[in-house]
Amino acid sequence: MNTPVYYQRGEYIETDTGNKVSRRAAISGPQNIILGGKTIISSNAIIRGDLRRTGPGHAVVISLGRYCLIGEGCILRPPYKTYRGVFNYYPMKIGDNVHIGANTIVEAATIGNYVEIGKNCIIGKFVIIKDCAKIADDTIIPPNTVVPALTLFAGNPGQIVEDLPETTQEMVESQTKQYYTRFQPYPN
Amino acid sequence: MSASIEYYCPCLAESPHPPPPHLASSSYSFHPLHNLYFCEECDAVRCNRCVLMEVSGYFCPNCLFEVPSASVRAEKNRCARNCFNCPICRNTLSVVASDPEAGDGRMSPVVSTTLGEPPFFLFCNNCRWDSAEIGITFEKPTGLAAQLQKFEDSAPEALEFEHLKEHFEPYLRASSSALPATAAHSHHHVNPITAAASSALARDVPGVGKYNPLSRSRVGRDKNAGKQEIPDYKSRVEIGTLGALGAGGGNSDVEFMRRLEDMSEVAKLEQRWVNSWTASLRSSDLKPLRIPLQVKKSKRCPACRHILIKPEQKSQSVRYKIKLVAANYLPAIHVSLPHAIAAMELMKRSSTLNKSLSSTVDDPSVSGLIPGKTYAFHLAFTNPLYDPIQVRLKKVQPVPVPSADADPEKARRVPFQVSLPTAAFGIAAFAEAWEYEDEEDMFGQDDDDLDMDGHGMATKDGRGKTRAVGVVERRANTTVVSGEVIITKEARGNIRFNMLVSYTYRSDDAEPAEENEDGTPSRSHAVNKAPEMKNFSFYTVVDLGAVVRREGSRSELES
Repeated sequence: MNTPVYYQRGEYIETDTGNKVSRRAAISGPQNIILGGKTIISSNAIIRGDLRRTGPGHAVVISLGRYCLIGEGCILRPPYKTYRGVFNYYPMKIGDNVHIGANTIVEAATIGNYVEIGKNCIIGKFVIIKDCAKIADDTIIPPNTVVPALTLFAGNPGQIVEDLPETTQEMVESQTKQYYTRFQPYPN
Repeated sequence: MSASIEYYCPCLAESPHPPPPHLASSSYSFHPLHNLYFCEECDAVRCNRCVLMEVSGYFCPNCLFEVPSASVRAEKNRCARNCFNCPICRNTLSVVASDPEAGDGRMSPVVSTTLGEPPFFLFCNNCRWDSAEIGITFEKPTGLAAQLQKFEDSAPEALEFEHLKEHFEPYLRASSSALPATAAHSHHHVNPITAAASSALARDVPGVGKYNPLSRSRVGRDKNAGKQEIPDYKSRVEIGTLGALGAGGGNSDVEFMRRLEDMSEVAKLEQRWVNSWTASLRSSDLKPLRIPLQVKKSKRCPACRHILIKPEQKSQSVRYKIKLVAANYLPAIHVSLPHAIAAMELMKRSSTLNKSLSSTVDDPSVSGLIPGKTYAFHLAFTNPLYDPIQVRLKKVQPVPVPSADADPEKARRVPFQVSLPTAAFGIAAFAEAWEYEDEEDMFGQDDDDLDMDGHGMATKDGRGKTRAVGVVERRANTTVVSGEVIITKEARGNIRFNMLVSYTYRSDDAEPAEENEDGTPSRSHAVNKAPEMKNFSFYTVVDLGAVVRREGSRSELES
């Protein structure tokens, strides 16, 4: 239950707000990325903050909430489309207490709070995932899909499998918080 | 982690004892704690299988529109806006416009209209099906369901269903108005619809007896006097002529199959069986489907009808007006096998850090249980109540696993022996402050005044090497106790046993606890001054994981 998940002290950089970012993660355009605090970005993750909206000024490309986990080898890439003949990237917003499993590719527009995404998933462009939803391992969610709150999606293409219990929010909250406390440097 | 625990829901059964865990059917009675509800009135656990569900709101899972219940019926439980499923892969279809002009596709720099050019059609992002293939196009990109409505309503199956409904409506109305009070016992009296269906079945299928509830109960006799005879329903369309309507069947299908070149030309059963009628075999005849609506459910206790779950009105809200879940009442139990954790840690260390570990792990296998060995297991109890509780454990004797052809002497032997701490142990109250602390043992919470057993002879020599049966660790509102399992040489399968957990809640009268008592989920009826004890028991099934057969051990190949 409380067994620690160790990492080598030098591998992760810890920020003032408790974010832990792997030195081996590829983070492009960090000035366009917001981390909410106590969020972990694992090794070999790729976060494309450089794919920003064209135009002057500051633009937030990817924002992540608190107690999130970006698994190993994940790719976070903002969605894009050509609208009225103009190609553009659109921001990606991820809420609090969101865990994304290893090797998952995310191009969603919005991911709510308390969302669990499994390993090896592909979340298509402009997908909207509502609060407390869960995506099973190896699920493909095609572009523009909406995942309603408190549902489990699985398969290719991802479909509603079942409703999640009413206690999902509390469970995911405690799991994500617990994971953050378990994730600690190896004591020498 | 292989070890797990599930909680028993009696589901209003007469006997309070759970089914023996080695029966496959017992899994239906056990649930993870977070899936269970708790009725305060009945003081009992409820599960999804026994609660009464009610629809509290309809919504479309794609556009998330909350459909008023009045229009749900008219729209046939499906989204009446722009949401369609792909008939091939069930993905959500998107509306796309035609290309501006053939030829200069990407050269045209200015797109005249904002939404593209008509005709519009539905397109599947996943399997690249589009509705233009089957000749469905739209003049404008909104209100697609309304544009398709006329085709839908004129379909023979829709018409037939309407006629059927019209035919039976007066009888349904008559029966529901005549017997409003006996709705709960509806299976006892003769519903005219049931009677009509059974007589039709008896007529059409030889050998099927007419269903006669009077032979089973006498309840319906007087009701039967006023029963109306329903005239037989005559179908508008003869089943035999359906082939002519393009709905498949008969020689045309044989012909079609004979000329088949590509498997995908045939619609799979999965793609066809949502249709209300026999459908054509050709996948080119499949139509886009309006997306079925989803519901938000409120749940009631089956015994006292009190509401256990009442969601907020908004479809995508995850909050509840009423939420009585078992996790707020029963202690959460977490099972772990210290030997497995130690072994896993050893592997991790040796692989990632190349450090030799001083203590050796006696078990080379990672998490499996080896026959003939004794293992300790830990049960971590977490108290969700705002008051301390006393917990007492009692195992239910494991039943010998009946094996098919092993000799009866051996089969009668119990495959494993479990010892649990027999004395009661205390768990401190839940306090919000513990949620926020980082260091677990910051609070030197001494709940020794509750420690009645005294013989917490836990010897924590090295990580998880406790061999004693008793309390191992206390911190915050969690108490860890250790048990022991002796696995015999004949054991196989999963080590599962039932465990009865009783806990006593004691209200502390010294504190002015009354004012904050109402809001808390503790079930104290402590308005009086005397320390009141309340007791609650529930059954669980503990699964310690599978027994692994050691290689090279004696061959029991007859199994």
